[in-house]
Amino acid sequence: MATEADSTDDIDWRSEASAVEMSRRERLREFGRRWVYEPAVIAWADMRTRIGLLILSVYGLMALVEVFGLWRNPGTNQADPLLKPFETMQFPLGTTRSGVDLLALIIDSTPFMLLMVLAGGVWATGIAVLVGTISGYKGGTVDNAITSISDFFMAIPGLPLVIVLAVALKPENPIFLGVILTINYWAGLGRSIRSQVLSIRESSYIEAARTMGTSTPRIILKDVLPNIMPYVMVNFVLAARYTIFAAVGLYFLGVLPYTGQNWGVTLNYGYEKGGLLTMEAFHWLLVPIVAIVGLTFGLILVSQGLDRVFNPQVRTRLTGESESIEEENETTTTGMM
Amino acid sequence: MSTDSAAGNRAASDEGVDDPILEIDDANVTYNDGETYVLNDASVSIDRREILGIVGESGSGKSMFASALLDAVPDPGVLSGQIRYHRNDGSTVDVLELSDEELRQFRWEEVSMVFQGAMSSFNPTMKIRTHFTETLKTHDRSVSEGIDFARGLLENLYLEPDRVLDSYPHELSGGMQQRALIALSMVLNPEVLVMDEPTAALDLLMQRSILQLLDDLQSMYDLTIVFITHDLPLVASLADRMAIIYAFQFAEIGPRDSIIGDSAHPYTRKLLNATPNIDAPLVEMQPIDGEGPAPVNVPSGCRFHPRCSLATEKCRAEDPQLDVFDEFDTDHRAACHHWQEAREEIPLNAGKASDWYDASDMADRTTNTQQSKTDGQPLLSLTNVDVHFTKEQGLLERFSGDPDTVRAVDDVSLDIQEQDLVCLLGESGCGKTTLGKTMIGLQRPTGGSVEYRGQDIWTADGSDSTISHDEIRSALQIIHQDPGSALNPNRRIVDILSEPLRHTHPNASTNECRSRIYSLLERVGMTPPEDFIDRYPHQLSGGEQQRVVLARALLMNPNAILADEAISAVDVSLRIEIMDLMLELQSEFDTSFLFISHDLSNARYFAEHGDGRIAVMYLGEIVEIGSAERLIHDPRHPYTEVLRWATPNLDLDAMEADDPPIREIDVPDPVDPPSGCRFHTRCPVAREVCRKEQPELQEINDGDGKAACFREHPDHEYWDSEPVEGAQRRNEPPN
Amino acid sequence: MNYYLRRTLRIPLTVFAVATLSFGLIRLLPGGPFTQLRVQLLRQGVPAEQVDARIQALQNIRPDAPLWQQYLDYLVGVVQLDLGESISYGTPVLEIIARALPWTVLLVVVSTVLMFVIGVLIGAVQAYWEGSIFDTVFSGGSIFLMAVPYYIFAVVGLFFLGYQLRLFPTGNAVARTVEAGFTLQYFTSVLHHAALPIIAFTIGGIGSTALNMRSNSIQVLGREYVEVARLRGLSDGRIATRYVAQNAILPMYTGLLLLLGFRLGGTVVLEEIFSYPGLGYYLINAVNANDYPLMMGCFLVITVTLVVAVCIADLTYGLIDPRISAGDTDGY
Repeated sequence: MATEADSTDDIDWRSEASAVEMSRRERLREFGRRWVYEPAVIAWADMRTRIGLLILSVYGLMALVEVFGLWRNPGTNQADPLLKPFETMQFPLGTTRSGVDLLALIIDSTPFMLLMVLAGGVWATGIAVLVGTISGYKGGTVDNAITSISDFFMAIPGLPLVIVLAVALKPENPIFLGVILTINYWAGLGRSIRSQVLSIRESSYIEAARTMGTSTPRIILKDVLPNIMPYVMVNFVLAARYTIFAAVGLYFLGVLPYTGQNWGVTLNYGYEKGGLLTMEAFHWLLVPIVAIVGLTFGLILVSQGLDRVFNPQVRTRLTGESESIEEENETTTTGMM
Repeated sequence: MSTDSAAGNRAASDEGVDDPILEIDDANVTYNDGETYVLNDASVSIDRREILGIVGESGSGKSMFASALLDAVPDPGVLSGQIRYHRNDGSTVDVLELSDEELRQFRWEEVSMVFQGAMSSFNPTMKIRTHFTETLKTHDRSVSEGIDFARGLLENLYLEPDRVLDSYPHELSGGMQQRALIALSMVLNPEVLVMDEPTAALDLLMQRSILQLLDDLQSMYDLTIVFITHDLPLVASLADRMAIIYAFQFAEIGPRDSIIGDSAHPYTRKLLNATPNIDAPLVEMQPIDGEGPAPVNVPSGCRFHPRCSLATEKCRAEDPQLDVFDEFDTDHRAACHHWQEAREEIPLNAGKASDWYDASDMADRTTNTQQSKTDGQPLLSLTNVDVHFTKEQGLLERFSGDPDTVRAVDDVSLDIQEQDLVCLLGESGCGKTTLGKTMIGLQRPTGGSVEYRGQDIWTADGSDSTISHDEIRSALQIIHQDPGSALNPNRRIVDILSEPLRHTHPNASTNECRSRIYSLLERVGMTPPEDFIDRYPHQLSGGEQQRVVLARALLMNPNAILADEAISAVDVSLRIEIMDLMLELQSEFDTSFLFISHDLSNARYFAEHGDGRIAVMYLGEIVEIGSAERLIHDPRHPYTEVLRWATPNLDLDAMEADDPPIREIDVPDPVDPPSGCRFHTRCPVAREVCRKEQPELQEINDGDGKAACFREHPDHEYWDSEPVEGAQRRNEPPN
Repeated sequence: MNYYLRRTLRIPLTVFAVATLSFGLIRLLPGGPFTQLRVQLLRQGVPAEQVDARIQALQNIRPDAPLWQQYLDYLVGVVQLDLGESISYGTPVLEIIARALPWTVLLVVVSTVLMFVIGVLIGAVQAYWEGSIFDTVFSGGSIFLMAVPYYIFAVVGLFFLGYQLRLFPTGNAVARTVEAGFTLQYFTSVLHHAALPIIAFTIGGIGSTALNMRSNSIQVLGREYVEVARLRGLSDGRIATRYVAQNAILPMYTGLLLLLGFRLGGTVVLEEIFSYPGLGYYLINAVNANDYPLMMGCFLVITVTLVVAVCIADLTYGLIDPRISAGDTDGY
């Protein structure tokens, strides 16, 4: 660099300094606008995301209620057995055959479920992004090794592996459980992220960054990841959905060890202890079902509109920034290779 | 000819058309419930068996006109007006009144269409043959007869019928696909062929070859062709009449010679002057300021007035009608209030080409300049560089025989001085981009060495290196072909431009960086910078994007910049401006430029202005190198002559295109390049010896530069050798 | 060709790896592989001196041999298709699995095909009528279907159709009274028993398939070649099938490979709910009964089934999509 680096300083940098200066406060406001205000506006503008966020906030509320102990804990013979939902407002969702408040049961395990879902989603997508970007961007031997390993994990059907692992490891901690449930979920997702990264790697702006000597981690962070974010977010929700389904399914089968009753266990009891046979106990089955489906539904709704948050075109349109003329693609593109 | 009463409205149609096949009256295409016009008051007649060239910038509504001819305007656009089609038997139909079934038959049987992207016009999961047979079947034609007809078409397009028919689209090269698509559009033997940018995605030589074939097809099959393009000189060589579209309206229409030689609309005249071509004197090429308007904010009055130097109050207030303006020239219509002033005050450059080139003088001059530059150590030095790619292959092939190797660059040596300018010129697939990337250290050569000021760039940071790898890395920068994909869509301009400053000024404060970015943005013509700094790339026009890319490269303080087809994605009217900007900045920033192009006229503009050289590449080798003047006026390699032929010019006398000086249209497979001289399979003057022996790149006599052809040596055995099949037997050794 | 060879060669390699994994997993089990078994056998009254021999008979492993010897024995057993003997059923594991596997394959294949066909049809119609009421309703419906786990459909279906209305049987793969054979009676009985699980499993997957198909089709409908095909005058039917459907379905094919794994795994819950005697049913029974040989056998066979299925799908992909030359597996 040395000598040539200074050559630019000889050019006339004619610009008024005042227009350029930015105070710390301005920068902070700018940061807030970019990372908080704009995403919020875009997310709220989409009907589906809006409903989804509302649904999710109900679950958040339930978790808070449990954490601060604002609702009674479940216990046998709290009330008359098999009260119907809304029969008395004291037990709005009804009771089980042994007189346990169903709402208390649901609220009791909400923090547990949310933690587990979060852990499953973060683990699955986190590992997949890590593996996929490294494998796709680095290529060569690293890619071959990672691809072979994920091929192997893809070849094992998830649930049976989880069942065997659950028998062996007896996971009770919600975070550990989330990880176990999605133990090989990352493999398939990692492969598809890899193929996306492969095509992004070939794009001109990555080459330009490499030409400037930008380090690989910075290229991945600044140029690759933002472009796969919409895909990652959608898949985070799908992984979370898988975690809920698998957890509840396995609790329902009685394969997972449990300490208290959670949604899956409640479903199991409802199923085993008569919910299946008579109409009287049907709500016992229905309440955990609604809890599960509601959470998943909210997550999926949010994800449906979430990819737009990462789309700069939507961002500029919805936050009222000027839009340049729409261009027809009539330009010539010639001379490959 | 036409018998129905509607033909009475002659004022709108062209006087010069005696036997119209299509008459378009007052055609409008609107969106948003008639709020936005993307085609406005188009009235034009198309003569039977003529070639009508329609020229317009991107987004000017020319594609809408093409779709309107087939009543195929994309939803939710609404087409109104009248489009009368006169059949051969004298009957007339209004295309817009046809029933669905009639329209289905009308399309492709009477009027057919060729789109820009051949790759996207074919179903990727279907063989080419199926495309033909299903078209024949659905129009109740005999499949065997139709396929025979298609074979003839394909042969006339220099394709092997069986190979093409049994291929999937992705198995053919771009040029082959485009020709196959032309054959597909003609398989029902239509009367009219509407072509919407049919060659835009191809390189210049292929474009010109296809145009040549179109000319032949037109007479062979009695076709009427409507050829729509942004490339004025390209269509000028083919068209009988030409029409210019500006901002969704026809600005001018008339016989080709009148439009090129005596145009009356300021836009046409400026467009002609803005087009780089190889004949006009360089100094007079002028860009048009500004950009065409978007459909939502079309200026009132004459739509061109904001960009017109002759605009008056009248132009701002009153929209001029497209009409005959000169009673002695009734074929020629233009929409301008001031056509006389336009003709007087905007002189045309083309045709002024004079005999200003004097070979010996030029040779002296350029040798001198070359001499002065070759003093001292070169900035970049390539010695016997090879870049070979091994094709992906499987387990079994690995045991049997040699792997398939693509020789993208083969044994190239080239020196680039400080503040030098070199243009690499060649067809797609000739290895020019690979060579360019090898020069700036983005592609590792498989053989030979690349040195930066004497330091091999791939061993920098080794034990005995004098210049660090980081220094070399930031000294060699790139500008990509498509500015849209060269900018990360998720980052704002300020973030994009801060990135190079992280490398060059790692300790600079945020405000210091901003001020640097601001001043450079002003320098590249983006004023005021604060309007642009917080935008995302998609909020900029193509020209603005390319300026940002240029600014990004310059912020690295590079010593050499590779510009890979850097202007081909920019609108024609802006190309000169961007090229001028690059040249200005080159001297301002003391960098060398490597400019890659397939277009001799662009290369010439660069090389002549920057006092540089043009290197012609063919199949991985440099076959000729020299100054632009010498290359254009005294090409020594037959391939350079081919490229010279392929470059459209605006000289009316030279326009009647002669046959291409080439025997094959398609480039041979680089996996298995021809033996001897690689060009011998296509060379018009190849002889037997060219098959066996490979010519060396050597200094040429009485001229600057080097060439690799036996014809440079008067006593070479070439002159006694037999011509190969198909080659001409012309020429004796010089002197 | 070599790609197909390589792909096929990978099957035994993966099976070997999975066998190793399951061997390792046995060692992870609480108290080691044999402690519990030993306790169980002793409780059943097997004399202490015969316990080791019994274990060897059950698991093909000599508990007193060094680890590598046990590992080799185990692998040799797998190669000889000897998966040991089930503790709870007292019969060779292979025998149980041979009876169970066809039922699982039946469930997965039929329901996956149905799900794919129905989902694709709905998605295609939605794309054609993009923005219509039909589209809006079905999009909402699809999102909702995605949010409901398949076993909920199973439970609810079983509750109403099985127990309340008694339209369908609530267990087994075929009525006990019906003889196996190529008789109409046998087939109807099989269908009758499989109907509910298949319906539940199908509905559970339709949502995402339809959403996928919808967005793919909308993309393809915007492609230029569809426009060109219309201009060429091709019939709507041909454009819908040969142009839109084919190009929209192809990208979903690779997703199907992944989906197969999830669906095969999902049978575990499904079969348990319906007491349907497939692999998953026996796996759960084995888990509940601490029947390790059966558990490992089921796990191994489910995995092998998946490996073979994915391999078949992978190999045929090249035949369906001409653009994918053999060896290009980036499709995932």
